[in-house]
Amino acid sequence: MNTNALTIGHSHEGGVCVVTLSGRIDSTNANDLMSRLNALISSGEKSIVVDFGAVLYLTSAAFRALLVATDEAERNAAKFVLCSLGGHVRELFEMGGLLEVFTIHPSRAEAVARLA
Amino acid sequence: MTRPPNLIYAVDEVPPVAILIGSAIQHVAVMAITLIFPLILAREANLSGMQTLDLVSLSMLGLGIATVCLSIRSPYIGSGYLSPAAYTAIYLGPSLFALRRGGLDLVFGMTITAGFIQLCIAPLLKRLRALLPSEIAGLVIAILGLALASLGVSYGLGIDNGQSIKPDYVIVAGVSLATMSILNIWTKGYGKMFCVLIGIMVGYVASFAVGILDFPAILAGTSAQLFRVPHLEHIGWSFDPYLLAPFVVAALAATVRVMGDISNAQRLNDADWIRPNFTSLAGAVSANGIAMIFCGLIGGFGINSYSSSIGLSGATGVTSRSVGYAIGAGFAILALIPAAAAVFAAMPLPVMGAALFFTAAFVLTSGLQMITARMLDARKNIVIGFSFGMAVVADIYHNAFTAVPFVFQPIFGNSLVLGTVCAVLLNLITRIGVRQSVSIKLTPGAINREAVEQFLSDNGARWAARRDVINRATFGVVQLLEVLGDPPKGVEVDASFDEFNLDVRVRYAGAPLLIPEKKPAPREIMASKDGERLLAGYLLRQSADRILSRQNGDAAEVTLHYDH
Repeated sequence: MNTNALTIGHSHEGGVCVVTLSGRIDSTNANDLMSRLNALISSGEKSIVVDFGAVLYLTSAAFRALLVATDEAERNAAKFVLCSLGGHVRELFEMGGLLEVFTIHPSRAEAVARLA
Repeated sequence: MTRPPNLIYAVDEVPPVAILIGSAIQHVAVMAITLIFPLILAREANLSGMQTLDLVSLSMLGLGIATVCLSIRSPYIGSGYLSPAAYTAIYLGPSLFALRRGGLDLVFGMTITAGFIQLCIAPLLKRLRALLPSEIAGLVIAILGLALASLGVSYGLGIDNGQSIKPDYVIVAGVSLATMSILNIWTKGYGKMFCVLIGIMVGYVASFAVGILDFPAILAGTSAQLFRVPHLEHIGWSFDPYLLAPFVVAALAATVRVMGDISNAQRLNDADWIRPNFTSLAGAVSANGIAMIFCGLIGGFGINSYSSSIGLSGATGVTSRSVGYAIGAGFAILALIPAAAAVFAAMPLPVMGAALFFTAAFVLTSGLQMITARMLDARKNIVIGFSFGMAVVADIYHNAFTAVPFVFQPIFGNSLVLGTVCAVLLNLITRIGVRQSVSIKLTPGAINREAVEQFLSDNGARWAARRDVINRATFGVVQLLEVLGDPPKGVEVDASFDEFNLDVRVRYAGAPLLIPEKKPAPREIMASKDGERLLAGYLLRQSADRILSRQNGDAAEVTLHYDH
């Protein structure tokens, strides 16, 4: 069994939907992530926080999935933010020049407080 | 860059005036302790009271200018971080050597030379890492600590040419050293922070009590002047190639210290700090070089970044660059006040000895910590052990080494140079055969990314490679495999490692990888898989320290290089 496989969970904190990711996000699972996020947006969620605290790394496929989800959220008038980007993961966002493209909060608590 | 939660004023923030001035005064007090080094020079050069005052005043100006140079943020000069300067023990041995050989003119001339050496080193920092790994930098600092302790004992006990010990000096040095040690071990906050300053003040009182404080003589001639522009009459410059070796070694050691201090300043300002920003480091080394040239021109001493001040900024949570500019202004004002210089110029020898001996303990142990921070294998044991032994031998059998050919005398005549030259040469020789290589073949239809992750992770652990470098390499290979898909003849991944380099070669049959120089726009990435591939190529370019893509017939190869 691969311990680095992506797991996606979601829960609600107040009126905010928190999506928790852990493991590695690459082309083998980026479509799963995109489908899951799009499904949440389509189901009427208006405030979504994606927690990257347990993500090991992500590739270009994952960035594309996040960009598509951000676009989808905008079209549905939903708020879509990322949080807890640590060390290497944050560095990858920075390398791709994508830190400014997404709304990013340092911690899950802060992200939820902003969207609540 | 993520702001650490304990910072009160971060590097780009400007504190209110009261806090700015308070922080600057605190740094000025800590930095001024290092005026002891130009003072030692003044004593050894037998300067008159007024000349000593001028030297101290100009040295204060040097501290201010150097702090501004080191802290400023510009594309070429300065680290961009609050980085106070200090006169350093690193240049004490070479400067005293120069003083005995050619007087103060030679000291100032060689200080300027060392500044130019640092300016030449700055653009080559990354490449020089192999020449000066941390354990050799630690060795240089430990040898410096030993030299400092030896001088401290000589001053503290009042040992002169006749090797006799002066009892009144022992009392003063003992009281002063005990005060510093007690405050450092058993107090917290300001007591610990200013233990050296307080110990020096207690030493002044003890010196007055035993009758060896000649304060009035130093103050004579300054009493009528509240402000005075320091004179430059005693300053001249000369050069001696014989002294090039010790000053090159000292410049290298000072460069290593700047790199350590600025890395620490970067880390204090970024909770996500992983590795040093070399643009900032190179700017700091250039700034140190310019500050050295300035100090040489105004008749000052070798200057460096100051670990204690960077530690102080971390402890207080005020890392604002503006504090650096306030320190510069503060020292510029103090340089014009003769009474401020007189307080330091009157420092009795046993008090200097106590401060030197106390500082030596920390220099020596910080060197030893740097040596042992990485695992010492047989190769490193030999490099460090032999070199340390040779450095000690150079001091014990100093007279015997005067018989070596003239061209080698700068090396054998100085423990710091002999130890460093031995370490660098032995390190280069023993690195032969140190590179290790491994490879893995992924067959078509089974391009297994988990296998690659495991392969790099296992070998990284075996090589004791840094975790962050292995993580970047793992990302690089996985990202590359994602772009390549499933090539018809599979993929071969070779990884080779030595202490400073990790190279990963990925070979496959197919078209060469497209590595764009320009960042793709978000719309472009979203629009199609081609946009995603452009982002992949761009991420690969950014995440590796060097990337090379080439094709030979049907076969293509991508090399990812990571500095370690």
